Amino acid sequence: MSVTRADVERIAELARLELGEQELGRLTSELNGILGHIGQLASLDLAATSDLTPQIRSPLPATRPEGAEEADVLRQSPASFAPDWREGFFVVPPPPGVHREPSE
Amino acid sequence: MTHDAGSALARIAESEAGPGGLNAFLSLADADDVQPRANGPLAGAPVAVKDNISTTALPTTCGSRLLDGYQAPYEATVVRKLRDAGGVVIGKTNLDEFGMGSSTENSAYGPTLNPHDRSRVPGGSSGGSAAAIAAGYTTMALGSDTGGSVRQPASFCGVVGIKPTYGRVSRYGLAAFASSLDQVGVLGRTVTDAATLLGAISGHDPHDATTADTPVPDYADDVGRGVAGMVVGVPAEYFPDALDPAIRSLLESGLERLVEAGARLEKVSLAHTSYAIPAYYLLAPAEASSNLARYDGVRFGVRQEGSDIASMYEKTRRGFGDEVKRRIMLGTYALSAGYYDEYYGTAQRARSLITQDFAEVFARVDVLFTPTAPTTAFSLGERTGDPLAMYMSDVFTVTANLAGIPGVSVPVGYVDGLPVGGQLLAPWWGESTMLAAAGAVEASSPGSLP
Repeated sequence: MSVTRADVERIAELARLELGEQELGRLTSELNGILGHIGQLASLDLAATSDLTPQIRSPLPATRPEGAEEADVLRQSPASFAPDWREGFFVVPPPPGVHREPSE
Repeated sequence: MTHDAGSALARIAESEAGPGGLNAFLSLADADDVQPRANGPLAGAPVAVKDNISTTALPTTCGSRLLDGYQAPYEATVVRKLRDAGGVVIGKTNLDEFGMGSSTENSAYGPTLNPHDRSRVPGGSSGGSAAAIAAGYTTMALGSDTGGSVRQPASFCGVVGIKPTYGRVSRYGLAAFASSLDQVGVLGRTVTDAATLLGAISGHDPHDATTADTPVPDYADDVGRGVAGMVVGVPAEYFPDALDPAIRSLLESGLERLVEAGARLEKVSLAHTSYAIPAYYLLAPAEASSNLARYDGVRFGVRQEGSDIASMYEKTRRGFGDEVKRRIMLGTYALSAGYYDEYYGTAQRARSLITQDFAEVFARVDVLFTPTAPTTAFSLGERTGDPLAMYMSDVFTVTANLAGIPGVSVPVGYVDGLPVGGQLLAPWWGESTMLAAAGAVEASSPGSLP
């Protein structure tokens, strides 16, 4: 269990994290230290063990009742806290390679 | 000791101003808005709230620059419940960013100091809540516990901290870190204080599908029930040879006092305990990497503009601190294609074994008694450069989160002037028995807060 610097760059891309050169080097070393410790799980014989532990030992099934689907009443309108809000929508920058029309 | 919200706020303002403060609070209620109440089980009691629990009257930062000034548009169920019970929210307490840490040094707003020794950490991630009680600012506080974040700071600060059974308390309005492990917990100056607050916030919530629709016992009443006839398990794996002899001695004294009060001890084994930290540090970061995807400048987080949406995401997420980035990276790796079963699946199977250990032991004993943490409060900066050493602070607490069982840390004495906590663990929904045992430990333990 170990990662290379190239692995770390790829993981950062997946995680949408922009890391500097120093951070990449430090994280490669730290992640390898942590993964080394985690490696002791490999000594367990897990062939007959389920990964579906009944974590929630609730007396009742964990299901959401119909009434709970109603939207919360917010104390403020999204327009008051959204970075950009037009005609009932949150406005975000365009996807990579797509340019906004000059009129926008 | 401060008993009403107005005088609590005055004392906090006076004590926390200037360089001598503990940095326990990130925001405080306006004294003019605090109305004393006499009704309900909390009867006007001031309550501090960890700053990852949503409030509408005060900001909710999660200790992160990404949520600087964030005002939640709705209130957490636990906050509504404590107010309905007569409690008064006096302020929001400091924490490791998004609950990720064991020392409260990972807050973007600076570390909280331990009131017993200001050169030391208060534990974490609910360090602000624990320090606020230890300093005498309040007798009750809310925290959250994903791997020990209520119990370990309670131990370091000499207060009581309870992590309830998974599903006992609503998480609606708690900023999600690792959803299969997170629980809102409570801290108190005494077991009765903590039990009273737990009773006020427990119960079913239609907004949280993981909460159980079962009656809430009178937990405060359970505290004085005593331990006559109770079987207390002593797990060998929590008393390793390397355990500090002074901490071991305090725990053994606590066990002797439980016997004097009528309990019987039984040695037990939880054979897979050593796999808890490896399993936890795969599962929690994996869930965190998914939960924290929402901090992207669109759904949550102070937006940093970019030329396109991918660039905006990355610029916005620069605001995460080092520990949060480390866990997002670890979790993203564990969930990535080709590694899911090797890492996440393996950790889940190890979790099953740890849970099974508890189920087998609780068929024979009523509660387990262990140290809460392997050490007393360590020095500021001592472990910030060594993530693994920091993670080992949680070695005795993460098992309860992995299995979903309740746990409480109770002060059992001091080593070199620093508090030590003993941990009681109980079966699922066994809070009443656990608090009866905690009350007995507290009643027989020496010590006082600073």
